[in-house]
Amino acid sequence: MGRTLLLGVAALLALGIPVAFGSSSADPGITATSVHIGGTAPLSGSAQAFQSVAKGAEAYFKYLNARGGVNKRKINYEYLDDQYIPSETVRQTRVLVQEKKVFAIFNSLGTEHNEAIRPYLTQLQVPQVFAATGATTFGRDYKQYPWTIAYQPTYIAEGAMYGSYIRRTMPKAKIAILYQDDSYGADLIKGLQRGLGPKAGNIVARVGYAATDDNVQSQIVRLRGSKAQVLMLFSTPKFTIQAFQYVNGLGWKPRIFVNAVSSASNIMVISSSRGQNKRVEGAISIVFLKDQNDPKWARDPGVLLYRRIMKRYAPSGNVKDVYNVYGMSAAFTFADALRHAGKNPSRRSLMTATARLNERNNPFLLPGMSIKTTSTDHYPIDQARLQRWSKGKWVSFGGLLKARS
Amino acid sequence: MSRLAAARVAVTAIALAAATVAVFLAPRWDKVGDIKGAQMGVYFIALLGLNIVTGYTGQISLGHGAFMAVGGYTTAILVADHGVRDLWTIPIAGLVAGIAGFLVGVPALRLSGLYLALVTFGLAVAMPDILSWDKLERVTHGGKEVQLFGKPALTGKGFADVSILGQTVTFTRAVHYLTWAVALVLLVVAWLLLRGPPGRAFRAVRDSEVAATSSGVNIAAYKTFAFAISAAYAGIAGSLLVIAVAFADPQAFPAKLSLTLLVGVVVAGLGSLWGVLAGAAFIEFLPDAAVHVSKAQGVPDTVYGAALILIVLVLPTGVAGGLRRALTPLTTRLYTRS
Repeated sequence: MGRTLLLGVAALLALGIPVAFGSSSADPGITATSVHIGGTAPLSGSAQAFQSVAKGAEAYFKYLNARGGVNKRKINYEYLDDQYIPSETVRQTRVLVQEKKVFAIFNSLGTEHNEAIRPYLTQLQVPQVFAATGATTFGRDYKQYPWTIAYQPTYIAEGAMYGSYIRRTMPKAKIAILYQDDSYGADLIKGLQRGLGPKAGNIVARVGYAATDDNVQSQIVRLRGSKAQVLMLFSTPKFTIQAFQYVNGLGWKPRIFVNAVSSASNIMVISSSRGQNKRVEGAISIVFLKDQNDPKWARDPGVLLYRRIMKRYAPSGNVKDVYNVYGMSAAFTFADALRHAGKNPSRRSLMTATARLNERNNPFLLPGMSIKTTSTDHYPIDQARLQRWSKGKWVSFGGLLKARS
Repeated sequence: MSRLAAARVAVTAIALAAATVAVFLAPRWDKVGDIKGAQMGVYFIALLGLNIVTGYTGQISLGHGAFMAVGGYTTAILVADHGVRDLWTIPIAGLVAGIAGFLVGVPALRLSGLYLALVTFGLAVAMPDILSWDKLERVTHGGKEVQLFGKPALTGKGFADVSILGQTVTFTRAVHYLTWAVALVLLVVAWLLLRGPPGRAFRAVRDSEVAATSSGVNIAAYKTFAFAISAAYAGIAGSLLVIAVAFADPQAFPAKLSLTLLVGVVVAGLGSLWGVLAGAAFIEFLPDAAVHVSKAQGVPDTVYGAALILIVLVLPTGVAGGLRRALTPLTTRLYTRS
């Protein structure tokens, strides 16, 4: 047996010691004909519904590459599965940066996940562009993290939009808040108070829950005791669905606002028990993408383009999934930034370009929206419209709102 | 031919097969890279440990991910908050996890079979919540991430290069070497342990508790010993995992991790040390392979499940069992037991 051990050890050593390979150059991942970028997405596990954020972007890049790419460079977007676990995000991002030698990290999804990789990417000076998260820190803390920029409206901006709408239309209404007890819930409340301004005193009750809680029944009972006429649901889909059920069960009839994290139309359909729960009718949320399921956009060039791209480059994808549109929009903006990063983009010039965006032609965003950033404004999307749930679908109303984060 | 000579032939054949596999894999190792290589080493160590308790002693544990968490958090806290050099935290993590394993083992091992599996699984399910518990916030950061990246106690703080025996290598590669060096030491320890009297006692407990008792084996003591040792292995694996990623949070040790480890041991072949290599490779690379098949929603998870069913159907005794079976005709031809 002694020899087995010895030979096995030899085999192990042979396995364990890799062949050396050469070191990297200054700005890897970019050649005269290609740009290699990477990111993470939950391709397996419980959060895999979010994966279309990566797939929509991939489909758009394929479409773009078929048309010559950006400045004759084809964009090769490689996304790896992180199972929505931050430590996996770190590991896969390091595989992308150190071993796959990507030029930039693009469109990685999740607040904690992007926070987990930010110190690493900052130190290695690798761009972390258009991170798919609404946490305010990604737009606010650019001085500490100059290699990072997010994409979507922040939770503070979103809360402020609800706040100013309530201040204008229901200045006397008493407000109750259900919120997730973390930075996401706190940011939404902060925004709401900012939007309410002098009316912030109308918030009569707020009850939090922990993300690990089972349900929010007791929270809803306590909120109902406040007799508020407006209920803010600053909660993730699971708890939002529960909240609608409990509110209905208690016979409480407040005006309900649903934050964008939980307002995808498929979740709204579940919340309304396929139309049976009348409390869902009239609920209000924000929207910044063209909802391809909305008949209003059926003949819109952006939505028609979206359908063409899906059919040609992502035939196995779910055309009704709104996250695909999100991914395409982010990919469009990335191509835009790359175009403005110069003939021979470097990681630094890409970051400079992301802080000088002035994009008015993104076909996937609502008409009239623009993506504008400056050296002191690192919030690409800071506009949205309000929408109301009516007879099984969202109907947008009012003009474009702009909110500072 | 004498029995000894026949055994030698069999051993040489197995070793040759292993060497062939190694030679075949070596050129591809470059593509796999240091990060995945280190992770495979982490799984290798955890599986070695789990195999001692599940494969050799016959006690099913669905909670070894929790012991990885204990070891991992020991390292994370010591490196990030107390400035202990990462290398020294590895044995400490093993010790802490071993003690945790002993403490869990004393009451839990009165149970056996499915009941033990359930209790240990409960531990795996509870561990992320325990780590997020408010009352432990000062120790465990209350579920918030622990960044080791940039900490001075982490060798190669910002993943700077490291000098080993006069050679400069990247931190990532250093961790890869370190993991496999530790794995090698632990393999030898496991081998020595299992070929001696404790190993015989473990197997006796597994095969028949009644027979073991009547032969004078203290069942409770050996079960607890096996459990503590294997928890220590898991703790060391968790420690190396945290050093490699330079990051820890409760989500890094989900209940699913414990299930994954059990899958690894089954694929390896219960009660085989060599199969562990295959088991570790399986659980590290199958998810990648599944995503490679198709990224369509739901497909990676399905492929993973299908591959597992296939393995169990084709190799019911794991890779090691399959190898043994393939070699059986050869050895029976060379000598017959009479």
